[in-house]
Amino acid sequence: MADNSKEQSGVREEDVTIKTYTEVSSDLANDLSAAKNAGKTKDYTKEKHDEKAYPNKFTQVTYWVMRVVAFLMLFLTLFPATNPAYVTKLIPQNTSILAIVSSYTRLTQNCTRAFNKGYITEASFKTLYTGSWVYIIALVLIVAGVIVLSLGNSKFKRLGAAVTLGGGALSIVSLLIMKSVVDGFNNTANLPEKSANWIEKNVGAALPSGWYMLLAFAIAIIVLQLIAFAMLLKMPCATVFEMEPKFQLFLLILPFAFLALVFSYLPLWGWRYAFFDYESGDGELTKDMFVGLKWFKFLFQNEATKANLANVMKNTLGLSFIGISTSWLPMVFAIFLSEIHNSHFKRIVQIFTTIPNFISWVLVYSIAFILFSADGLINSLMGTSTMFLMSTSHLWLKMWAWGTWKGLGWSAIIYISAISGIDQQLYEAATVDGAGRFQKMWHVTLPGLLPTFIVLLVMSIAGILSNGMDQYLVFSNASTIDKLNVLDLYVYKLVFDGNGLIPLSTVIGMAKSIISIILLFIANTASKAIRGSGII
Amino acid sequence: MAKFKSKEGFAYKPGDIIFYIFDYLIFGIFTLSCFFPFYYLFITTISSNDAVNKGLVRFYPIGIQFQNYIDIVNRSEVLTAFLVTIARTILATALMVFASALVGYLVTKKEMWHRTFIYRFIFITMYFNAGLIPWYMNMSMLGLTNNFLAYIIPGIVAPYNIILVKTYVESIPAELEESAQMDGAGFMTVFLRIIWPLSKPILATIAIFGAVGNWNSFTDSLMLMQQSQNLRTLQHLLYNYLTMSTSLNENSSSAAFEAARSVVAMKNTVSMVSIIPILMVYPFMMKYFEKGIMLGAVKG
Repeated sequence: MADNSKEQSGVREEDVTIKTYTEVSSDLANDLSAAKNAGKTKDYTKEKHDEKAYPNKFTQVTYWVMRVVAFLMLFLTLFPATNPAYVTKLIPQNTSILAIVSSYTRLTQNCTRAFNKGYITEASFKTLYTGSWVYIIALVLIVAGVIVLSLGNSKFKRLGAAVTLGGGALSIVSLLIMKSVVDGFNNTANLPEKSANWIEKNVGAALPSGWYMLLAFAIAIIVLQLIAFAMLLKMPCATVFEMEPKFQLFLLILPFAFLALVFSYLPLWGWRYAFFDYESGDGELTKDMFVGLKWFKFLFQNEATKANLANVMKNTLGLSFIGISTSWLPMVFAIFLSEIHNSHFKRIVQIFTTIPNFISWVLVYSIAFILFSADGLINSLMGTSTMFLMSTSHLWLKMWAWGTWKGLGWSAIIYISAISGIDQQLYEAATVDGAGRFQKMWHVTLPGLLPTFIVLLVMSIAGILSNGMDQYLVFSNASTIDKLNVLDLYVYKLVFDGNGLIPLSTVIGMAKSIISIILLFIANTASKAIRGSGII
Repeated sequence: MAKFKSKEGFAYKPGDIIFYIFDYLIFGIFTLSCFFPFYYLFITTISSNDAVNKGLVRFYPIGIQFQNYIDIVNRSEVLTAFLVTIARTILATALMVFASALVGYLVTKKEMWHRTFIYRFIFITMYFNAGLIPWYMNMSMLGLTNNFLAYIIPGIVAPYNIILVKTYVESIPAELEESAQMDGAGFMTVFLRIIWPLSKPILATIAIFGAVGNWNSFTDSLMLMQQSQNLRTLQHLLYNYLTMSTSLNENSSSAAFEAARSVVAMKNTVSMVSIIPILMVYPFMMKYFEKGIMLGAVKG
């Protein structure tokens, strides 16, 4: 524009001013439109036009099918049952393809002897490991192409198509690598007889059903993407990569939603163990392990389990009850601390009483040990050798005392900050009315703290079954376990303490989770009724 | 009574004096009970092990030495556990803070595609829990047993921390973000240049709590690292020493007694070493104590 005006300015003098004026105004208009384009109010009509280039509903459906298939492929990498690389019995059971690529040592953990004796070559396992990696890379390409890039404009979609097709081809290559490993195992003709016999007996090489399923998925993706690509090529292509903000935001949060899916929702899939006869080392669940509600009935029919559970519930509720009935202590701590006006003293109290909250229960036990064990400080001072940590007298109270020692100062902080929020005029008015110290505490401070107290109380009632297992795990020993076996610890010990009762433990964990959720909803309703607002 | 006057010049009544004596006394005793165990633990580690075993060390160290600390540095299992714990604490905390900040910012953006669904999908996970065994089977299925990544990846998305950040981000004036977008900044630029620097106080808070949580956790190590001695955390190692010394303590044979003695010094020193980092970050934590960080979260 500026160049134009200069060329013309040579021709007629009087035009200059006019041109300059036009120049300025058009520059201004350019700036405005640039700002408009760059800013939030970005004009996506061009995009819309691109989208209109797909009047074809068929293409849209194609994209959706591809997205679902790609997500399924991604999701199935998490499951051992659909592991395409599970080609031999030598691979540890319960291994997903993700588990294979995460550790080569795990993949070959059962093969050490076979490698040493030369029954099978390590090369075959290395090939399998490489193939698994190729598959994962291919999958990343497919997901990037189909889920991420296809949400952009037509230029993004073209790139996405190329990436997907590359990924699809690579995934087929990786599946063929896995097939070659199987063929290698099954081709025993040229091997020494000893190796051949061993392989026949122990390897059991075959392509798993997951392999065929993923091959079908990969082919489906390639075919669909070719169709979509063909459609794309017919349409005009945008000149720059662009994506609508709503999709940008969606894609940014997607990985985190996936993590939530994997680590919070996927464990629910483990509830199926409650319906099977399963022991650790059994590998995948099979139909003949299915026992229906056997373990649910077992819980109510087996006398020993019933007795155990009754004891566990007694401990859980007893310890929770002691905790809840003294949950006003932090509030009183805060009220009385606020009566102290020496700020140095106050600060020292706060510093030292909150430290125990930040150390683990293992360290608390370590401290308990140097103070209360048979040759700890207390015994050394009294000249005795009482085994305090072994004795079962007042055990619940002792546990409560440790919990209070650890948590009191910290729990009080919330009340201390609430006290600083109480209107000072209320105190002045109370003083004028002749209220004493305790009357002010009772009639002014306490009502100010009560809403916070009620929320925390309601929440602790909702968590009545969850005492946490750390404290009781470290403090329990052969003589005290009967009185400290709380639900969380019991569930842990059922499996990890050599019992291996996975289904029973799952049943109890399930019951606990469901009851806890119900308690939470009741607590929420109660909170709404009392204070007019819920806690969740 | 004229001697006892408050700052405002009022004379204290006898009732007040009794109240203050009790108030100071009770808080003094409780504070001492919180301080003394740590002090006692410290003096046992620097006193001569002989004096400790004879029960002579009570209120002050006897025969000061630092051999215990030199000994544990030379024990490879302690050093490994220490390094694993440090690596875990740094990596897990850094990723958790970054993820919480980013997700906390993203969920405030109303124009996100299917925002309500994703928001609920992430936050509802705070209120349910599949249970211990399904969790363990899930980790095993994903190949996260005997794998260092098990310490890092599951903790990245922490809904409670995300809510803290979200509440904070909502209090940042929207004009700041809008003006940046006017200048052509994308969401990541806005996040890195505006949201991240402005949310530093809340990010520091969740970082400190996350770091302390990671430093202290031992049940995950206990359950997931059964076959990997080299991936145990410091707390797990300490737990092993403790169960060892407890069982030795119960045993009355003299050989076991001697063995218990040697474990005790090591256990105490490792305890002290694992407390020190917490005491080091403590001054930073104090800054956030009375800001009512918890208050907003529980809707008090």
